[in-house]
Amino acid sequence: MEKICKSFGANDVLQSVDFSLNTGEICALLGENGAGKSTLMNILGGVLPADSGRITLDGKPVTFSFPVDSLDAGIGFIHQELNLINDLTIFENMFLTHLPRKGMFLDARTMRKRTQELFDKMKIELDPGTMVRELDASYKQIVEICRALMQDASIIIMDEPTTSLTEPEIQRVFSMMRSLKEQGVGIIFISHKLGEVMEICDRYTVLRDGSMVASGKVSDTDIKQLATYMVGHEVIAETNQRETNYGEEMLRLEHLSDNVNFHDISLSVRSGEILGVTGLLGDGRSELFQTVFGAMNTKYTGQIFLQGTPIHMRNTYQALEAGIAYLPRNRKENAILKDMSILDNGSIVHLPKIRRRGLIDFAQQEALFARQEENLHIKMGDKYDLITSLSGGNQQKVVLAKWLMSEPKVLILDNPTQGVDVGAKEEIYSIIHKLAGEGVAVIVLSSEAQEIIRVCDRSIVLFHGHQAGELSSVEMNEHNIMYLAAGGNQNESERV
Amino acid sequence: MKVSVSDMETKKIEKQHTMIGKFRDNWGNSALFSTIFALVVMLLIQCIVMYVNAGSLGGMFSKMGMAWLNILRNNAYQGVIALGMCFIIISGGIDLSVGSMLCALGAILMYLIAPGNGLMAKIGLSGPLAYGLAIIIVIAAGFLFGQINGTLISYGKLPPFIATLGMMKIFRSVTQQLTKHFNPTIPADFKLIASMKIGGQVILPILYWVLIVVIMHIIFTRTAFGRQTIAIGSNERAAKLSGINVNKVKRNIYALGGVMCAIAAVIYIARIGSMDFANAGSGYEMDAIAAVIVGGTAMSGGRGSLVGAFLGMLIIGVMNNILNTVGVPTFLCDAVKGLIIIFAVLVQKKENV
Repeated sequence: MEKICKSFGANDVLQSVDFSLNTGEICALLGENGAGKSTLMNILGGVLPADSGRITLDGKPVTFSFPVDSLDAGIGFIHQELNLINDLTIFENMFLTHLPRKGMFLDARTMRKRTQELFDKMKIELDPGTMVRELDASYKQIVEICRALMQDASIIIMDEPTTSLTEPEIQRVFSMMRSLKEQGVGIIFISHKLGEVMEICDRYTVLRDGSMVASGKVSDTDIKQLATYMVGHEVIAETNQRETNYGEEMLRLEHLSDNVNFHDISLSVRSGEILGVTGLLGDGRSELFQTVFGAMNTKYTGQIFLQGTPIHMRNTYQALEAGIAYLPRNRKENAILKDMSILDNGSIVHLPKIRRRGLIDFAQQEALFARQEENLHIKMGDKYDLITSLSGGNQQKVVLAKWLMSEPKVLILDNPTQGVDVGAKEEIYSIIHKLAGEGVAVIVLSSEAQEIIRVCDRSIVLFHGHQAGELSSVEMNEHNIMYLAAGGNQNESERV
Repeated sequence: MKVSVSDMETKKIEKQHTMIGKFRDNWGNSALFSTIFALVVMLLIQCIVMYVNAGSLGGMFSKMGMAWLNILRNNAYQGVIALGMCFIIISGGIDLSVGSMLCALGAILMYLIAPGNGLMAKIGLSGPLAYGLAIIIVIAAGFLFGQINGTLISYGKLPPFIATLGMMKIFRSVTQQLTKHFNPTIPADFKLIASMKIGGQVILPILYWVLIVVIMHIIFTRTAFGRQTIAIGSNERAAKLSGINVNKVKRNIYALGGVMCAIAAVIYIARIGSMDFANAGSGYEMDAIAAVIVGGTAMSGGRGSLVGAFLGMLIIGVMNNILNTVGVPTFLCDAVKGLIIIFAVLVQKKENV
């Protein structure tokens, strides 16, 4: 791939990116969230068209307009969310795109035979007749890879294949990748985990803000160097320089585990403090705080203290009553009531409290909302319009308004600036600072290291649900956050 | 203020222009608007049919009056049930058990008030006091039955369709078994509750129905419970993450549906004076759902109106009346009803997936 450019609107996602892959090679594609890795691979996979640039395959220029084109050219794309049908057998999944038939009926014998042949060749010990549902995540990954091979793929793109796998499972996938390599298949390995890159990859390419910043042999570099490439030295994020005035401890977690998403988490946050919690995909931070908020309904061990009293939230209503607010990630799925007006969306949390003789006191509802509208600078037409008429940033502010109306003591913000433009982002940051100044204990969950550095006083980095480390003041920089989030050890000397 | 002729003319044209625009806007944005429009069209057709049938304008009016009296009082029970159903559908659920529940509640009511061997008579109560107490007990039973549905759906995490289908079978069969040797009659004065004539006509069921429409409309539009119902139907996950006690609200929504069934059962018994436990109320769930849907409420939840459910019931009633007057064979009436329901949903504004 040469000089690939792509922009969405005024936003240049890729600027003249070059990328190459040889047969029988595993190449790592690295970069932070939003660096353009997925966009580049989507162009290769025929999901998105490139604005300019050239793709050559075996020396011949090719164009991919549809995913099918790229598939036919021998490029298999294994997405992060696996594309297998749980209720079918392995061999049926292998042939899902064109099921072989014998007369009117499916030719199960041929499917089974060809799957078995492939499994033998790859030295996989699986019965092709097993239901996919019964496989663990690593075998599912392997079945996906085999499916790509079945379609004669010579290049396989793997988008963060190891995020949901355990260590032995990762090793299983890696040994599969090594045998593919021996058979001359080229693999593009997208990952955040630098340790794995060092272990499995031959070459690397690092993208940052849509440009290629480094490329070379893995054997010539080390984790520290790669982390520096990903973050970049010249990017010095604006740091948080507010005056802090902490009060009493508001929320404390002690050895909290649910044994699935998070393990042995202990932290505390004081009134007026802004605590950041960050990590990469699959770090369990959302699940952790949804548990605190009573939205998970799963069993956990350890204890949660609110202002020194142990609490156990069985549902979100209790959490609301106790003064804990949680602004969820994925606004559209988790926060927006699409059939309701801006006003109703902005006051739904507090609505049961705004009443007179059992009925909603509309005058009070409007007054309370007007105060938040002014406070948060919500730009909108009529407050009776549907919430969906607003831009992403303003929708987010309305969602924030509904929680602020309840005057929480602990405010948990999960990805508060997701899908919000730069201007609105800054506004949300200053709102967060203002709230902390008023004595609210704020917890910001974010995968963007820059955001954490920009807003938080202190941050906790999670790696696969484990507490990887705590950073504050000068130590809280992108390099250290990335290093801890990618599985680095806090005690090693590689921190800067 | 002076307005020149030409100005007035342009304004008229503008107004006409915006009227068409407004019509289109309203059609797209307000489900209630299209329901009212449909009802008006139905009324016009009814007028024409009645005029042809009666042959004179005076005859048309008297026939229309009678027809409407019948439409309103004959649909009062299903109409009341439809109001509960409307709440349930707006919350994203469904309740198939309403017909059987009406039957079960009717049986309880008759068991309470039967002269001689009824429970009220046994403890020595009679007259208005006994009836009042019996009605309160039946409404409480309806609330409890609804709570059972709601508990299965919220805590048991059963799909509403399955939970209420099961309860529908249970209510019906248990009622039939328990009433096997029970041949109840009801006191004549109890019938006055619905059958007392006012101005020479039986209009009490209509008054009850309209009163309940008003109360339910206020609950829906002016209480936090109403808003929370919309929120759950619109996006249950977001509702939960907004600190709404989704399980509790759902239970109360189904309980409200049960209370509506109880009220319908009281009106039914007082109007008809008896109940056939094998068939009473069967098919009411479908009538209620049809009224709710024709009234512009989205099957997917989140959008709808209680007044719409009332108007939807009237539309179906008027249609039945027209079909009878025109002389469409009885067996074909349901086919026309089916067509109307399908058409009503076809013209509804739908979301892009």
